[in-house]
Amino acid sequence: MVFYLSIILGKLVAFLNYILKIGAGSTWPGHLALIFDKNFLKKIFKKNPHLQTIVVTGTNGKTTTVALLKYLLEKKGYQVFTNKEGANLLNGIASSLIKNANFLGKIEKQVAIFEADEFNFPLIIKEFSPNIVLILNLFRDQLDRYGEVNTIASRWLLALKNLSPKTLVFLNGDDPNLYYLGKNISSFVFYFGLEKSKMPYKNLPFDVDFNYCPVCFHLLSYQKVAYSHLGSFFCQKCGFHQENIFTLSLKNIPFSLFGVYNQYNLTAAFLVLMKGFNFDLSEVFDFVKDFKPAFGRQEKIVYKNRIFYLLLSKNPAGFNQSIEAVTSYFKGQKKFFWLILNNRIPDGRDVSWIFDVEFKKIVFLAKKIFVSGDRAFDMAIRLKYELPNSKKKIIPLIDLKKTLKKILKETKENEAIFVFPNYSAMLEVRKLLVGKKFL
Amino acid sequence: MKLFLGWFYPELMSTYGDRGNIIALSYWAKILGIDLEVCPISLNDPYEKILKMDILFMGGAQDKQQEIVSKDLKNGKSKALKKAIEAGVCGLFVCGAYQFLGRYYKAADGTKIPGLSIFDLYTENPGESFPRLIGDIGIKTKIAKDEIVVGFENHGGRTYLSNKNLAFGEVIFGFGNNGKDKTEGIFYKNTIGTYLHGPILPKNPKVTFFLLEKAIERKYKRKILVKKFDEEWEKKAREIVIRKKRD
Repeated sequence: MVFYLSIILGKLVAFLNYILKIGAGSTWPGHLALIFDKNFLKKIFKKNPHLQTIVVTGTNGKTTTVALLKYLLEKKGYQVFTNKEGANLLNGIASSLIKNANFLGKIEKQVAIFEADEFNFPLIIKEFSPNIVLILNLFRDQLDRYGEVNTIASRWLLALKNLSPKTLVFLNGDDPNLYYLGKNISSFVFYFGLEKSKMPYKNLPFDVDFNYCPVCFHLLSYQKVAYSHLGSFFCQKCGFHQENIFTLSLKNIPFSLFGVYNQYNLTAAFLVLMKGFNFDLSEVFDFVKDFKPAFGRQEKIVYKNRIFYLLLSKNPAGFNQSIEAVTSYFKGQKKFFWLILNNRIPDGRDVSWIFDVEFKKIVFLAKKIFVSGDRAFDMAIRLKYELPNSKKKIIPLIDLKKTLKKILKETKENEAIFVFPNYSAMLEVRKLLVGKKFL
Repeated sequence: MKLFLGWFYPELMSTYGDRGNIIALSYWAKILGIDLEVCPISLNDPYEKILKMDILFMGGAQDKQQEIVSKDLKNGKSKALKKAIEAGVCGLFVCGAYQFLGRYYKAADGTKIPGLSIFDLYTENPGESFPRLIGDIGIKTKIAKDEIVVGFENHGGRTYLSNKNLAFGEVIFGFGNNGKDKTEGIFYKNTIGTYLHGPILPKNPKVTFFLLEKAIERKYKRKILVKKFDEEWEKKAREIVIRKKRD
């Protein structure tokens, strides 16, 4: 009885929220349902045994991979729903279930894909054992909020150990930390990775978070490196090495997103579809080229005849990948960049991490770099220190609107501006360019 | 003028953006006409390397990395490090590295990890139920007299100095060594131990200059006092943090 009341209440709140246009209230229905009935999630899943659930976590690539999975599943006729971006706590998951259920708690759709942040992921899989768990990577991000990488990994391990043995777990096998995690759990584990020929580096870069052997703590050796500490690794001391990594020859797949990190996202999605849904990949390859990126993830926005590319860049590994992607994909002429750095609660308060990003390439390639956001001057110093005599190229202005005006003055029509915002900055700049909020 | 900067374990002790300190030292050295060579001091490197350095730096890391490093330091390196610091070599030791140089670190679970006993201090983590000391921090120091040195701190351990006069700074806002006695870090001979990330040097050029000036003074017996320099953006970056605290 409490269960049905929770659903009715949740739906009522969602309806009120909709007609009153309160906004940002997408997690309220679930929040109330969970207060009303602690076992709400367990009950609604029990009522819908046909519903396949996928939980996706990791530091970078969650939103893109969730969108990609949904897109490809729908192309094959599945009905899919997800939790909305920013609603990746338990209450957001509960809200999406309420929204897609009828008053009796029945859900018609067949697949639910939930994005979970690194911190809440263990709490979520403790509440219910999903059919599929996908972990994309683990880098440092918001240390003041989430904690250190090893702290996160040990919380994940505990939670993964308690999963139902039927859950299929998909892990990034090129991440030594995650690879080792998979060796210590009893679920069925699949590893995805990149072909060595696709890995651009020989040596480890600076932004690594896990470069020692998880077995004997000796420093790891790498045959090739994809980015950060992802690569083809082995331990010279104890022999620890990778086995059974699923890779794809992505050469002939016309994927619309560029960068090595997106090849990981694509490979991960393909492996999940193959092993979890018996997809024959050749049937979906063609669909990939029409996939549109998620908000702010290599999103192209035309504003006053200038082309703005938004590349969410919120931690060292992600930022380095954005820079790498832009500089190797858009070769040639000098470019305009716009870096926006905030330090609000969803970004983490500490901005020290910008010193672990390699900015040399963009300082070198830039015609002008506009810098804005709450901590614009931290970023301006960072850039100035990268290359002596580069100060005149860098234009720090805290206010985004003023910066945009300045950009319009300094650029010509049809010129491209590459925007690297962190999380709250991405929402802000997007609102400015598109003219509305999207959440 | 040439200086050697010894960077301890860059591949392991670099979790909190503290590489920025190396970047800042290199930038200002170049402007001041100092040839600064950055020398990584890594696992299994011979301890003699340390004795050739004019400036020493070590950043912070996670417990596991610190464990690996503490094993490596036992091989003569800790003695060399102590010798260098006692002899007046300039140094900057941040967060985990700062705790490391004390007498001991008592972890959250109560285990006591002996330190290098170069600094007369100890650090205790009161346990998981106590919050970490996290946030913006501003301190008054002897090195940068007329301004507030600004950074970001994030530590579970509480550090206690045997002699409070040895503190690197006095806390204006934030927590500092332990959140209680208003002391921050330690200033011993020419070496600074501190909890300030941010990283500390890029936003606070006066601290950077201190390390470079002292190192030149020791090695070449001559003074280079930096008086005029462009720190427009550094100043603005500090002011933004200070203003936010005042509001």
